[in-house]
Amino acid sequence: MSAQPPPELTAADYPLSIKHPELLRTPTGKPITALTMDAVVSGELSAEDLRIAPETLQLQAQLADASGRPQLAANFRRAAEMTAIPDTEVLAMYNALRPRAATAAQLGELADRLGGTYGAPVCAALVREAAEVYARRDLLARPTADVG
Amino acid sequence: MTSTKPRTSTRTEVLESRPVNLDGFVEEWPEKGLVAMESDFDPAPSVRVEDGRIVELDGKARADFDFMDTFIANHAIDVASAEECTAIPSVDIARMLIDPGVSRGQVLAVTRGLTPAKILDVVKLMNVVEIMQAMQKMRARRTPANQGHSTSARDNPVQVAVDAAEGALRGFAELETTLGVVRYAPLVAIALQVGGQVGRGGVLTQCALEEATELELGMRGITAYAETISIYGTESVFVDGDDTPWSKAFLASAYASRGIKMRFTSGTGSEVQMGNAEGKSMLYLEIRCILMAKGAGVQGLQNGSISCIGVPGAVPGGIRAVAAENLVASMVDLECASGNDQSFSHSSMRRTARLMPQLLPGTDFVCSGYSAVPNADNMFAGSNFDTEDYDDWNTIQRDLQVDGGLRHVREAEVLQVRNKAARALQALFAHLDLPPITDDEVEAATYADSSNDYPLRDVLSDLKGAQSVMERGITGLDLVRGLETTGFHDVAESLLSVLRQRVSGDLLQTSAVLTADFTPLSAINDVNDYAGPGTGYRLAGERWEELKKLRHVTSATNPETEVG
Repeated sequence: MSAQPPPELTAADYPLSIKHPELLRTPTGKPITALTMDAVVSGELSAEDLRIAPETLQLQAQLADASGRPQLAANFRRAAEMTAIPDTEVLAMYNALRPRAATAAQLGELADRLGGTYGAPVCAALVREAAEVYARRDLLARPTADVG
Repeated sequence: MTSTKPRTSTRTEVLESRPVNLDGFVEEWPEKGLVAMESDFDPAPSVRVEDGRIVELDGKARADFDFMDTFIANHAIDVASAEECTAIPSVDIARMLIDPGVSRGQVLAVTRGLTPAKILDVVKLMNVVEIMQAMQKMRARRTPANQGHSTSARDNPVQVAVDAAEGALRGFAELETTLGVVRYAPLVAIALQVGGQVGRGGVLTQCALEEATELELGMRGITAYAETISIYGTESVFVDGDDTPWSKAFLASAYASRGIKMRFTSGTGSEVQMGNAEGKSMLYLEIRCILMAKGAGVQGLQNGSISCIGVPGAVPGGIRAVAAENLVASMVDLECASGNDQSFSHSSMRRTARLMPQLLPGTDFVCSGYSAVPNADNMFAGSNFDTEDYDDWNTIQRDLQVDGGLRHVREAEVLQVRNKAARALQALFAHLDLPPITDDEVEAATYADSSNDYPLRDVLSDLKGAQSVMERGITGLDLVRGLETTGFHDVAESLLSVLRQRVSGDLLQTSAVLTADFTPLSAINDVNDYAGPGTGYRLAGERWEELKKLRHVTSATNPETEVG
C-alpha cells in the first residue's frame, strides 16, 4: 500500500454538501450552488453538470480515511480516476474483467490504457492484479477454444 | 375401503394443518455444505505474514489460494495487525462484542485484522441474544432505518409510483423496484423515483436489474443507488455468476465515479443452492463474501440470506446463522441491509420470530426490503412482510418501543400522496410524450390495493415508451424539468436535491441516507455510540410520540373516541 498524504479533512467536515459547499464543483467547473431549479428550467444545465468531480471523490476519500475506512478510501480513489472514462467504456472495461472474457494480452492492454490514456494508475494496478490471478486460476479467455 | 393407516389423534390433525407444516425442513449434510454454521469441514483460523504480505490464510498457503482467499488477503485484512488480532482468543473477541464497556471503535480495531475462519470462530460462540446485543453496538449508523419494495405484477408504473409514495410517507428511507418484463424498467424506475419523492422528499430509489443495465439507469440519474451487485463465497459459484472479485471491485468504483451509492448483495445458502459450496458451512462462505465486499471498498452489503432464505431456514440453527451474518457485516464496519425480504415461511409466528434479531437491536435497514405492495404484486418473489402487515408492524414497534423505521399514517394523508403521485406521473408522462395515464387510472390508483384494482395499460405502447426513454437519452434532469414545468414544483425540487447529492458524494459514505430536510446521515455524522443502558439510539421524544399512534387507540379522557 502506498502512503497517502495526511488527510486535510476530518470527520467533522462531513457532510460536505452542508458544511463545505464551497469545496464542491461539478466536472464542468460550476459551483454546486449553481445547480438551481432556474438553471435546470432554462436549459443551462446538462447531465454532465450532475456528475461528481474527481476532486470531490478525493475529498470523500480523505473523509473515509479520517473515519478509519482505508478500503472505502481506496475505492473512492479508483473512482476519482474513473470519472474521466466515458460511460460506455467503463462498462466495456467491466465486461473485460468478467471470467474468461479477456486474454492476458487484452488485460495488459486495458491496464496500459488505464495507466496511460486515463492517468489511472490505481485502476491499472487492480487490472494487473486481476490478470495475474486469472492466469493462475484459469480465468483468462481461451482465444482458440470454445468456438461452436 | 379398508385402511392400514394407524389412527391419528385429533391433536395431530390440528397440528398437521398448521401453516408451519407447509414449510420445508431438512437434515444437515455438512459434506455438501448444507449446514448453517457448525461444520467440521470449515478450516481452522490461521494467518501468517511475511514481508508485509499474507502468505497463509486459514490453513492454506498462498500458492493454494483460490481467488477469494487472494482477494481477501490482498485487500480486506489489515496486514499490520492480522497476526496479533487473529491470535486473540475467540472468546475474548466475542466478549468485546457484547461488552458495553468496549466501544464500537475498539472492536473495529480488532476485527480489521481477522481472517474468515477466525470471525466464524468468534460468532459461533454467540447465541442469538448475544448476537443481537452485539448488533446493537456494531450497526454502523446510529439511527436504524428500513427499505421497501414497490413493484407491480403487471409492471404498472402508476401502481409503482403510488405505492412508493405511500411507502415513503410511512417511513421507508430507501425504495427498490424490479420488473416482470425487464423492458418496462425505464418507465417503472421513473415511476418509483417520482412517487418516492412525492411521499417524502429525499427517499433514495433503485431498480434491480442485470449489472450493466442497473448501472446505466443510475448513470442517467433515473435511480439514486444500486444494490443488486451479487457476490458469492466460492470461486466456482462466483464464476458461474459471470464475475470475479476484481470485476465487482471495478464495478464498485464505477458506481462511485458517477456519485452513485452502492452496496453488494450476498447471503447464506446461495452457494449450496447454486450447487457448489465446496463442503463449507453457509456462514463460513458468507463471511468470505463479507470480507470480499470490505476489500472492494464498497460501503455496504445487503445480506441475511436474501433470496436463498429457504436454505438456511430449512436447517437447524439456520436463522441464528442469518442473524450472525448481519452482525459480521456490521462488525467489519459495513452498512448492513439485513434481509427480512424474500418470503420465508407460511407461519406468521415464524415470520415474526425471524425478524426479531434485526428489529430488536436495529440495523441500518431492518428489511431489504419490506413489500410496500401486496405480496402477489411483489416481483422479488414476495417478501417476509407486506402491506397487509403495516398495522401489525406498527403495533409491534409500539409494544416493544423499538424503531423499525415505519409509522402509522392517517388515511387522508395516504390518499393525498397517492393521488398526487399518480397526477405527477401523469403530468410527467404527458410532458415526455410517453403513453398517457388517464384520469380513471389516477382515480383507481388513489384508492387501490393491488394491481388488480387498476385499469389495464396498453403494454405494447408502454414498452415502446420505455424504449424511447433509453433511445432519447432521458435523464434525471429531464424528469426534474418535466415536473417543474407541469406544476409539481416541490417534487421537482426534491428530485433535484437528490440529484445534487451525487455532485457532493456525501451519500457514498458508509450507511448514508437522506433525511427529510436533505441532510446526509451516515456512519460519519451519526456514529453509533452505544455504550450500554441509556446510550446509543433510543426511541424517545418526538419519534416515540409518532410511533405511539395506531389506527385505533382509545382516548384516555374520552373512552368513546379514538385518537391518532
